[in-house]
Amino acid sequence: METESAVTHSDNGQTQTASETVIQTRGLTKSFATESGEIVAVDDVSFAIDEGTVVGVLGPNGAGKTTTIKMLLGLVRPTSGTASIHGVDVDSASSEIYDYVSGMLEGARNVYWRLTVRENLRFFSRIGNEPANPDRIERLIAQVGLEEKADEPINDLSRGMKQKASIACTLVRNTPTVFLDEPTLGLDVESSIELRESLKDLVRRDERTVLVSSHDMEVIQDLCDRVIIMADGEIIADDTVESLLQSFSTRTLRLTLDAAPPPELRTVLDSRFEVRHGTDTRNRHQLEVVGIDEDGFYEVFDLIEPAQPTLVEVDTLTPDLEDVFLRVVDEGEVSVDE
Amino acid sequence: MSEYGRLFAAVFEKQTILLKRYWFNTLMLLVAMYIMFAMVFFGGQRIAGDGFESTLDVTVVGFFLFIAASAAYFDVARSVMEEAQWGTLEQLYMSRFGLGSVLAARTVFNILFSSGVSLVLLGLMLLTTGRSLSVDVITVFPLLVVTLLSVIGLGYVIAGLSLLYKRIENVQQLLQFVFIGLIALPSVLDGIVLGVVPLSFGSGMITSAMTEGVRLWQFPAAELIVLLANSGVYLVIGYAAFDRLVERTRDHGTLGHY
Repeated sequence: METESAVTHSDNGQTQTASETVIQTRGLTKSFATESGEIVAVDDVSFAIDEGTVVGVLGPNGAGKTTTIKMLLGLVRPTSGTASIHGVDVDSASSEIYDYVSGMLEGARNVYWRLTVRENLRFFSRIGNEPANPDRIERLIAQVGLEEKADEPINDLSRGMKQKASIACTLVRNTPTVFLDEPTLGLDVESSIELRESLKDLVRRDERTVLVSSHDMEVIQDLCDRVIIMADGEIIADDTVESLLQSFSTRTLRLTLDAAPPPELRTVLDSRFEVRHGTDTRNRHQLEVVGIDEDGFYEVFDLIEPAQPTLVEVDTLTPDLEDVFLRVVDEGEVSVDE
Repeated sequence: MSEYGRLFAAVFEKQTILLKRYWFNTLMLLVAMYIMFAMVFFGGQRIAGDGFESTLDVTVVGFFLFIAASAAYFDVARSVMEEAQWGTLEQLYMSRFGLGSVLAARTVFNILFSSGVSLVLLGLMLLTTGRSLSVDVITVFPLLVVTLLSVIGLGYVIAGLSLLYKRIENVQQLLQFVFIGLIALPSVLDGIVLGVVPLSFGSGMITSAMTEGVRLWQFPAAELIVLLANSGVYLVIGYAAFDRLVERTRDHGTLGHY
């Protein structure tokens, strides 16, 4: 089995071996022929994921997230490019890769609704890569909080419970790598929070390599070490959650003034920076200076200080992942971590 | 337990649970089949009178074969689309055994189940008609299983086509009527054609076994070889076509669609 590893240098100068790369794509592309012509769903996507990391894939509808995941799972054949899981070429049409990877697709549509939770777990465990392990089955039932519903047909469960059962059926195969496509799809807020807590526990407990796609930013922010943002079939950002948040954290400065700035100040500010003007709940003038760096920060103060309006409040807006995502997608900003 | 033993155990357990849990549905299937036969029997008696009596044994055997063939064929052909609708097809594809093996395990279960159902119905048909047939299990069961393999080959082709083209229920239904013709073919035709088309050659042998009491070892070796070759070729070609059609479906990216 071919795996890759890289040598990195830590801050203290010591040499250390990084984790093995377990998911690798190179120039992965998928196009579909339609009546209106060819549509490129995934365009030249390359990334590598190290063992034990949890990576989120974000993107608007049609970004190519699910197609990418399905190509990695061998369910969709790429038009060009390669993908490998634990060194095994996914497109070799060999079922060997399913010793290493399992996947939950489209919410709860992965289990037999006429079988009970326990029966489903028993079935999917046995078609996986090792015999059914009753202890693991019971442990998973407890971890997803379905002890009292374990002997009820899936059909009789709520949507949130169905999705928990579906996740458990994916994890029961005990593969080192797991893909979760929209695990909280269609859930109400309460169920989504509950499932997110279960997922956090499940993902961290066994130190698996996980690739999770979701529209739910909080799922990604809570679970993932790294985020890949896709739009129009391409990767437009690939970085750690921390770095993405950091790179946007000082960029928006909100200044509250006791009166509207004079036209000449407004003109200067608007020409030098991207400024949004508004008012707060007490009808005071607010300026949001977007994309500002440290030098700009002082420049704004230097411009405002001699002017008439008094600065009454200064806030640095800290974006969450949703803000970062919207900016990256809207503006196509790229922050690829090489 | 070997790896494939584990697969068969998993599939057999699941199918048995579903049959037991939905026993009423299973029972209604039997009742519906019996009612269908009763309509053919009493309707035939009324229309054809004594003429019908002379072909009754062949009719009973033919109906028995039709039930077994339809059950085996529909299970393979329909199961793929059902799994796609439930969202479990992709999960089966991601089994370390591969989709074909999981479906094959289900097919083996279904051959056993549909053979059992057919035999129960055969008993009911014989009670209804007051006839007696030679049901030597050592002869009839192997002949039936090998004969059904050709039908299962066709089922795999239809399953693959339904994966690729989705809604093809009409073709599925149509083929069921073709079975009636194929089962009846040995009574109107003889020669090489029976060895080429599916189902017919086995139908002729099973009819001989049940109406004339011919035992398995009394059939000429050449006939047994032709039956094995016929069913083997249809099964292999059917499975190869299914495999190819699954690959085409992967190209289209529609494996889990329905």
